[in-house]
Amino acid sequence: MTQAKARTLSLSKRGMSFETFMWLFTRLTALGMYAFILVGVIGALVMGARNQMTFIEVLRWALVTNPGHVAYTNVADIAPWESVFWRLVASGMFLTASSHGMHGVIVILDDYLGGISQRKWIRILNLAAYFIIAPIGLYVIWTA
Amino acid sequence: MEITIKIFRYNPEKDTRGHYETYVVEGDENDRVLDVLEHVKGKTDGSLAFRRSCAHGVCGSDAMRINGRNHLACKTLVRDVGSNITVEPVLGLKVKKDLIVDMDPFFDNYKKMLPYLINDSPLPEDGKERLQSPEQRARFDESTKCILCAACTTSCPSYWANDQYYGPAAIVAAHRFIFDSRDEGASERLHILSETDGTARCHTAYNCTEACPRDIKITKAIGEVKMAMVTGKLD
Repeated sequence: MTQAKARTLSLSKRGMSFETFMWLFTRLTALGMYAFILVGVIGALVMGARNQMTFIEVLRWALVTNPGHVAYTNVADIAPWESVFWRLVASGMFLTASSHGMHGVIVILDDYLGGISQRKWIRILNLAAYFIIAPIGLYVIWTA
Repeated sequence: MEITIKIFRYNPEKDTRGHYETYVVEGDENDRVLDVLEHVKGKTDGSLAFRRSCAHGVCGSDAMRINGRNHLACKTLVRDVGSNITVEPVLGLKVKKDLIVDMDPFFDNYKKMLPYLINDSPLPEDGKERLQSPEQRARFDESTKCILCAACTTSCPSYWANDQYYGPAAIVAAHRFIFDSRDEGASERLHILSETDGTARCHTAYNCTEACPRDIKITKAIGEVKMAMVTGKLD
């Protein structure tokens, strides 16, 4: 009987196409977004959200940890909520979510576009939109 | 019992577009939809065109849309779909006549998967078979069951949107060889499937799995191919 040995293709043999890389990227960024939300929820509870915010307000904060999301709650001291750490978390969430979403748009459009040049242009337009939106989003996060 | 069957009709020599015709036939709830179609063709309207061959769910000729879902007409009983039946050709492939579609694009995609054993290594010392264990054989058992009926591919929304997508059936064909311990062509097949029209077009709608008359877990098989692309593991 043949000796059963593990069959594994090395990266050089199987390659890593753009599609495969982005398939992996989409899954990892989805997990990354869950992680950012978890950090936001835990951080809010540590900073006293349990007695000062409603569940909906906590979720809104956790999705993007922007101090503007706390301004109209019962939180007395907003200073801890607008620290550099939370702005970094918000920036991470924003960049992760927007790149995840941008690739989602490309995937859906690729379903309907068959031509190579059409697909290329859609990628260029999406990337251009991303590089316009990303700085605006970061500006809002860091100046709010 | 009385069975009312509404059938999509299209004759390229007469019609500019398809239409439906309704027939009422006497039958039994244990009749198959194929029996009802045969009844219509044999006794009412001989011009009705549909594919059939073995009539026992093995050849995969008579895939069609029955009451909106892809089935093999020879494996679908009247009692399971009711006495008011609508029969249409599968979606995503050009209709040639009535329930007959052009299968060429489907088989072209199948051929792109190199659906044959690739092994350029020298034969074993005894010059006989390339043996494999029952476990190694079981690894791709599911995908050997495919009968190429196209029920899966033509139920896939991604394929409806873009027929350049290789489709579930082609990926199942690739799966059958990628995970075969005797095969050495996995690298080539994974390269083909990692193109934009490969597994990236699968959004796990599960229509293919529901449509498969052989109960192949197609979406799972596609997922395994995607994982093989990322990890390189073929066991």
